[in-house]
This record gives sequence, structure tokens and C-alpha cells, in this order.
Amino acid sequence: MRRAFPIIASILALVAVRGVGRAAEPGMAEIPATIYRPLFRGEKDAKEVPVAAFQLDVRPVTNGEFLTFVRQHPNWQRSRVPRLFADEGYLTHWAGDADLGNARAEQAVTNVSWFAVKAYAATHGKRLPTTAEWEVAAAAGFTLGEGKQDPEFQQAIARWYGTPSPLVVPDAGGGRENIFGVRDLHGLVWEWTSDFNSAMVTGDARGDTGLERQLFCGAGSVGASDRENYPAFMRFGFRSSLRAGYTVPNLGFRCAKNP
Amino acid sequence: MRPPIALPRLALTACAVLAAFASEPESLKPAGEEPPCCREPLELGKPTDKSLYLLDSTWTSDVGRRIKLGALRGRPQIMSMFFTHCEYDSPNRVRELKAIEGKLAPEVLGKVDFLLVSMDVKRDTPAELAKFRANRVLPRERWTLLRGGDDDVRELAALLGVNFMEDARGQFAHSNLITLVNGEGEIVFQHAGLSQDPTLLIAAIEKAAHEAKR
Repeated sequence: MRRAFPIIASILALVAVRGVGRAAEPGMAEIPATIYRPLFRGEKDAKEVPVAAFQLDVRPVTNGEFLTFVRQHPNWQRSRVPRLFADEGYLTHWAGDADLGNARAEQAVTNVSWFAVKAYAATHGKRLPTTAEWEVAAAAGFTLGEGKQDPEFQQAIARWYGTPSPLVVPDAGGGRENIFGVRDLHGLVWEWTSDFNSAMVTGDARGDTGLERQLFCGAGSVGASDRENYPAFMRFGFRSSLRAGYTVPNLGFRCAKNP
Repeated sequence: MRPPIALPRLALTACAVLAAFASEPESLKPAGEEPPCCREPLELGKPTDKSLYLLDSTWTSDVGRRIKLGALRGRPQIMSMFFTHCEYDSPNRVRELKAIEGKLAPEVLGKVDFLLVSMDVKRDTPAELAKFRANRVLPRERWTLLRGGDDDVRELAALLGVNFMEDARGQFAHSNLITLVNGEGEIVFQHAGLSQDPTLLIAAIEKAAHEAKR
């Protein structure tokens, strides 16, 4: 019986992998259940948070896809959306309500508010990824599950976070795929998460290992777990500065879905 | 010089006695005694482009009333997000709000409301909110305490610029922010941080009260 166990286990593992392959819908990749180590956490919080398996779009949503959405849902066209739900910058890189102008259909859509991208996801039977989900998908390397141990991956990330945004947003899907088959989590645009406002960062890594007590209640209880992870600090700092109606020229999104 | 204080109290008692014996107590209630969440809604047409009252979410008040935020339309709201089990600064913030209430002239006070929205979806039931109101002595005619669903709380916070996260002990770390919305539900002023000078906030409240339709 003891000898039989590893064989049974590997058969089970094969079945599981097959199951995973079948679950992902076209254009999405299955991210297996994993552990998230939050960058910011309370002093008594667990260092590791389980994240259930989910599906994630393999690339950010494009201008072309978003155009189809606003054609079908005219209340999200730029001249009709109330300012509460999207600021003045909403889709300003397009020529008109349903006209891309010089924007390419294949580019990741940007200048979109949290409200607008939530509505887009809902009409596709999807949702936005949580910050934890986005971060675990983004932590995976090109060839290793742990991107931290993948030197090529680390270099690629450092290069992007150290480079100013290009004036023209590159096409979506051109980046190298990570071990889960997901592309462009780094190197293209910033991306919305469903709970972006759970980040509380006021400045950079040096100042934010503790939070400013005047501005945040309970500040003394929250600290950073990995001071070396500058890209993560940048992402949390950026998310922390957003509001639901904001639009930014290098901020786009992708959708997630339960398995 | 004590009578000026004692007199209104007498008048109030008289009102209460009258109300108790009257056959139509509703009509005898002093104006404004209804909590803000229970007032008759005003017919003001479609909310403006920037109005928080475009939100479709439903909230429950400490008196158990289910409302859309638009029910508060017409009168400026001095609002803050909080949770009743706070071990840190929320008590201070409510104290700060009450201090602001104390600084407003009577004619302004009659034209503004205070609104507390809980971020503790699990524990802050209407009963907990009612207990908080009683403990803190928050006047019924002017203070609204609301709870809502997970997504709705996240959405409102995301609009106001309130960032928050819950820790393992059920405490929320969150932005200290007082938001003033005008009678139309538009954000007109935000006051960040504890114990900051409220002069500008009070000036903004007076202006909003002056323009209010209710």
C-alpha cells in the first residue's frame, strides 16, 4: 500500500492538471490556488493569505474590445457618462464617442475609470481581480512559479519600473507570457483591481514602512513586510492615490473570473 | 442669566406632553424631529452629473430604515466613514465631528446633517449603530448612521478617496477624512487628518447651508 501511494498521487495530480486546463475559458488562464504574502499587513495578521484558484485574462482589455462595449452600452460613451463615474479624461485618447481615431484597436485601453471597467467586466460575466489575485499572478516568473527566483523576470520588471511610460501605449499581448500563460502584467500599463483602495501608502518605501498617524486611523498597526520590493511599493503607492472616477493615460485593466 | 437655557427645555417638555395627549401626534411634532433618513423625499429631479446620489446602492440606518443615499438630498451632509469597534481613532473623529457641530451657528445647524457610514459590514448591524448613537449622544434629528453591503461600502469609499483594510483582529486601518457634500450630493470640501484646524471646513459648511434647498 505504501508503494502504491506515490503512483495514485501522480495520477491524481495529472487529473488535476487536466481539470485546470479544461476550466480556463478562451483568452483566460487558470491561476491555481496559492498563497499571497501581502506587502502591507497588520502586526497580528497572518504573513500568508490563501488565494483560491481563479481565471485571469491573458492580456489587458484593448481599445477595440472597449469600443464594442460602449457601442452596446451607450451610457458608458464619453459624452454620456456622468462625471461621478468617470472624470474628464475618460477615453480622451479616442476621437469620439464610438470612434478610436488614431488609437489602435490592439492597444490596451487606458483612460478608463474603475466604474467603467467594473461595468465592462460585469457585461462579460466577469469581474475585476482583487489586489491579492493580481499580485499572485504578477509574482509568477517566466519559467518559475516564484518570479523572485527567476533572474530574467526580475531584470525585466526592474527595467519597466525604471523606465518612463511610452507616449504611445504598446499593443496588448506582446509581452512574454509567464508560467501561467498570462502576459503584460508588467511592462505595459498599470491595472485596476476591485479593491484598489485597500492600499494605504502616502509616499515611497522609505517613508511608508509605518503610516502617517494623522491621516490614517490604526496606522500604527500596519506595516510593510518586504521593504526591498520596490515595484510592489510603486504599485501600492499608485493604487493608493486613485479614486473610483479617476482616469489615467497609462492605467488599464483586465478581467478575472471564478474557475 | 440661566432662564434662556431653562426656557426652551420647558417648552420642549410641554411639546412632549402635548404630543403624548394629542389625537394627531404627527402634526404636533416639532419640525425636524424625524431623523434625516426618514424625511419626506424632495422632488428635485435627476441628480447632477457629479452627485453621489447617482449611486443606486441601498443602505440601512440605525433606525432600520432602508434608503438610497438620495433620500438625504436637499441638505448638506458632513460625512465620515467609521466603525463602532474602533480601538484607535474613530472615537476621536466622532468627537471632532461633534466639536464641529458645536461650532456651527444655530441657523446653520438647522440646515445641515451629519452622516456616519460604517465600513464594518460584518459587525455593524443597525442595532450596533443604534447603541453607538446612544452612547455618543448623537442628536436624532441631525445624525444619520448607515450600514451597507460589502461592494457598496467599497464603492462609496473609492469615490470619497477613503482607503481602508481590515486586519486579523477585525480592526480597520483607514483614511481619516471628513467629506462635505452639498445639498445636491456633490463633494465640495474634504478635511483630511485628525486634529487639523477646521476653519476652512466650517466656512465651507456655512456656504453649503446657505445654498441648501431644505
